[in-house]
Amino acid sequence: MLYARLIIMRLLKAVIVLFLIVIFNFFLIHMAPGDPAVVMAGEAGATDAEFLNQLREQFGLDQPLYVQLWNYVSGIATLDFGYSYRQQTPVFDLIMDRLPATLLLTGTAFVMSLGLGILAGSMAAARAKKLSGSLIMALALVFYATPLFWVALMAVMLFSVQLEWLPAYGYYTVGTDLTGFALVLDIGQHLILPATTLALFSMAVYTRMTRTSMLEASQQDYVKTARAKGLAPGVIQRRHILRNALLPIITLAGLQAGQMVGGAILTETVFAWPGIGRLMFEALMQRDYNLLLGIFFFSAALVIAFNIITDLVYGLVDPRIKESS
Amino acid sequence: MKKTLTLAITIASLAATYAWAEEPRSGGVINTVIQPEPPGIIAGVHQNAPTQTVSGNIYESLLRYDTDLNPMPQLARDWTVSEDGLTYTFYLHEDATWHDGEPFTSADVVFSTDVYLREMNPRTRTILSHVKSIEAPDDHTVVFTLKNAFGPFILAFEAGTMPMMPKHIYENTDFRTNEANNHPIGTGPFKFESWDRGRVIKLVKNEDYYEEGLPYLDGINWHVIPDASSRAVAYENGTIDVLPANSVENFDIPRLSKLDNTCRTEQGQEYFSPFAMLWMNNREGPTADKRFRQAVMYALDREFVRDVLWNGLGKVPLSSFGSNASFQNDSLPPYEHDPERARELLDEMGYEGEEIRLLPIPYGETWVRWAEAVQQNLQEVGINVSTQSTDIGGWNQRLAEWDYDLAFTYLFQYGDPALGISRTYISSNIAKGSPWNNVEGYKNERVDELFDLAATAYPDKKREEYYHEAQEILHDEVPVGWLLELGFPTLYRCDVKNLVTTGIGLNDGFKNAWFDR
Amino acid sequence: MNFFARFAQNRGALVGLIILTTIILMAITAPLFFPESPWRMLQRPFLTPFEVDGFPMGTDTMGRNVAAGLMHGAWVSLLIGLVSTTVALLIGLPLGAIAGYYGGLLDDALMRFTEFFQTIPSFALAIVLVAIMQPSVTSIVLAIALVSWPPVARLVRAEFMSLRNREYVEAARLVGQGNTTIILRQILPNAMSPIIVLASLMVATAILLESSLSFLGLGDPNVMSWGYMIGAARTVIRQAWWLSFFPGLAILLTVLALNLVGEGLDDALNPKLSRERS
Repeated sequence: MLYARLIIMRLLKAVIVLFLIVIFNFFLIHMAPGDPAVVMAGEAGATDAEFLNQLREQFGLDQPLYVQLWNYVSGIATLDFGYSYRQQTPVFDLIMDRLPATLLLTGTAFVMSLGLGILAGSMAAARAKKLSGSLIMALALVFYATPLFWVALMAVMLFSVQLEWLPAYGYYTVGTDLTGFALVLDIGQHLILPATTLALFSMAVYTRMTRTSMLEASQQDYVKTARAKGLAPGVIQRRHILRNALLPIITLAGLQAGQMVGGAILTETVFAWPGIGRLMFEALMQRDYNLLLGIFFFSAALVIAFNIITDLVYGLVDPRIKESS
Repeated sequence: MKKTLTLAITIASLAATYAWAEEPRSGGVINTVIQPEPPGIIAGVHQNAPTQTVSGNIYESLLRYDTDLNPMPQLARDWTVSEDGLTYTFYLHEDATWHDGEPFTSADVVFSTDVYLREMNPRTRTILSHVKSIEAPDDHTVVFTLKNAFGPFILAFEAGTMPMMPKHIYENTDFRTNEANNHPIGTGPFKFESWDRGRVIKLVKNEDYYEEGLPYLDGINWHVIPDASSRAVAYENGTIDVLPANSVENFDIPRLSKLDNTCRTEQGQEYFSPFAMLWMNNREGPTADKRFRQAVMYALDREFVRDVLWNGLGKVPLSSFGSNASFQNDSLPPYEHDPERARELLDEMGYEGEEIRLLPIPYGETWVRWAEAVQQNLQEVGINVSTQSTDIGGWNQRLAEWDYDLAFTYLFQYGDPALGISRTYISSNIAKGSPWNNVEGYKNERVDELFDLAATAYPDKKREEYYHEAQEILHDEVPVGWLLELGFPTLYRCDVKNLVTTGIGLNDGFKNAWFDR
Repeated sequence: MNFFARFAQNRGALVGLIILTTIILMAITAPLFFPESPWRMLQRPFLTPFEVDGFPMGTDTMGRNVAAGLMHGAWVSLLIGLVSTTVALLIGLPLGAIAGYYGGLLDDALMRFTEFFQTIPSFALAIVLVAIMQPSVTSIVLAIALVSWPPVARLVRAEFMSLRNREYVEAARLVGQGNTTIILRQILPNAMSPIIVLASLMVATAILLESSLSFLGLGDPNVMSWGYMIGAARTVIRQAWWLSFFPGLAILLTVLALNLVGEGLDDALNPKLSRERS
């Protein structure tokens, strides 16, 4: 019961935060030089002011900023995210169109990086004094230290161009009308390179974090007690050390999950993955305010959701933390 | 002036040039890329390059143009121009239909030009300001009567400039928000099938096309691949058959050209003839001094840039008129790379190291490298340059607000000085808010007068005199820096035949293309 | 054992320190070895390494000396990494500590503020900030700092939340130590090791972030950083591997060194742990 009230409180707060974010982002975006009309007139090679004014009028950009803000916020209140200036399509449709691809990519990368990262990290912690442990850490460091887009390009070079094992770009093979399992397989093949690329960096982060916190946790008194009680090393490792070592990892994972949309900008660009990250970058470059704000709204909502989940999981894992709110 | 003879010659020369020795075969879907993804593919609504590339195969205008920019028939099977250059009469194909089955008639032409385009397309609106009336004496004849002679008018009937829009769909609606904009209806050789946003635009063969046997291809897939390296890979691994001009980085061109079964052409850009220039702010600061601007011209090593950044393609321009534009005055002495002369001019004017802000154009790596080369060239003669990087929005805004000292740009020449060149130099075109007008703020009454006279003079001999004089003045006063007439090659599999047959290139090229497989 | 002896016990940390020192020396001595601007076009483009004397790493797309760029770039990349991390720590540390220690409404307010900054994915926010301020070293450093501080705040808060109820803190409270003393003397030292690890990672992340911004065309066009060099070499990666290889290696080594040094510091600052290890 208490838990339910807690969640409701957090959700209420989330709505307020979202509201503030909409306003903050609105002003932030309007601070950028140029507006969608200027960009579109520029693309069209338009030489007269009339064309520009037509566009501004059509987009409602001729009104004072506070009126535009009011229009936007009252739209949001009824879950109307407006039209994309450039694409002349409802923002909501555009986002929903791209969201599955991004969720698939980031979700796969997230699970992959978290799972492999914790596994590699605990292995490295258990073998802290052995060569194999150092090797894992060295590898993690290399993954960590190489720029994401560089890895992506190298991966394409190796696996698509040289070996021809995997497709170089895209979401599915265009030109074939696959359905059912064949389509899933096809998308899966396209997913391997971008998801792995996106996962490598976070995986290295989790590996390092897991190892550090596990080594630290293994020095705690309760672990020593457990050892003294004669519990099997595997049990200690899992039940006592890992459980406590998970705390900073959960913090990190909660953050990383929301951040993946950002990392996806680069991955989606290199692999032509039709997701939100690329849409966001294009919208920014086009100064497509409504679309950009809509994407920020959705990613903000995602991040907040992850924060709430993180806090809840946190409470479950560490009994010492008493939620004071 | 009867055009039928010219037409016959045109067709004959075309046949000779492209040696249609083999009988074209039907079939096959061609895969290519579109970059960037267009905002829409309605020819009349959006005027940017990717929209025109796709929509040029769905929509048509009355004419097309060969690689020497001679008019060819399209929706107009024939046409005449009166002796005084004031009356243009077009005879339309009688069995042309819209993709929804409605017949295409002269009413559509009148609607498109007089109503739709006058409202929607700023560039076309300027051209149509020379037109007094547009009339349709019968269903398949259209007569344009001009207020004054306007030589380049015959060049305006290109699919991107003057696309024919269906009257029965758009009349009395809001052209921008019409529901039909989701499903373009044109008269062209290909019909719109689907657009999977962020992925692919698909067109299919128009089975009822009015030109017998055309098109040969079953369809066109335009893939959206936002990264240049990925586009190159897509060509290498066989997904893509055609890499349109400007779709991969210049540095990749030599390597890709050497691949098996790869052909390359620099044709198909003649109508646009992109011309790279350096805006120089004529209003204030050192750039307001003619000697400074001349010094910039002497300081630049344009050959180096062409050879290193553009693979030796393109031409170093003499002055304001490109080599593809008519009426080029080639007696003018070129500005050679001469740093010594540049330093002398700077000393003479008393330049004291004031900071000069250089704005690169954010169109990819080649352009960034180019800005670096220009910065180096200028620093070597003692000009204190700081490069100010921007994105597309910032670049447009700062040019529109005249907030720069030097800035990169490139402009299309559209085959005639009155369409593509005068706009950069005439003072009536000075207005904040657009990055494409007289952004540098150059004012010279004689130049204004000469461009004015030349645009409406008739016949061409008289226009030439005016244009040659204008070029002499511009050459001396250097309102802008003339960097390079760009050469954009198109790469394609050699078994794709007849891909580029016009001066508009791929924008209307797939109509004649076929697979020899 | 003193601090340095403990640090030196970790061989990796020593190696890291040596690499880092070398890179810093490179940055300082760049003008001596290559007095000319690294932007000067000196030779034929695309010279392979050692093809011509004086160009041990070849030339780039424009005939510029890659070795000169690498040495001058060390300075820029390190500066961007260090300055932005410092700024981020200055914001994140106090906020996180206060929120985690005091809890309650203050915590709530500070965390909402932090969340506020985190609700836009950091890379996306960095891009937007650079787009607004238009690309320059200052705007890039600022943007990186502004998107990097929330993780610090949250990590510090989490550590403080978990440590504030520990026995030794309760003990300190019982003997009457003030809040500030407890925060600085009791909790902070114990929370330090993950913060140090994070900070060393952040310097590295900042260097990577700058290169990612360059990749998208949002770098500063007036300074030659490693990020810029990779970004510029990306389009020619198939023809000229060395152009992205050397700056890539430089980033890799720097990040590696920073991490090794971070670990060494961790050991040195956390003697209990290092004793156990050795």
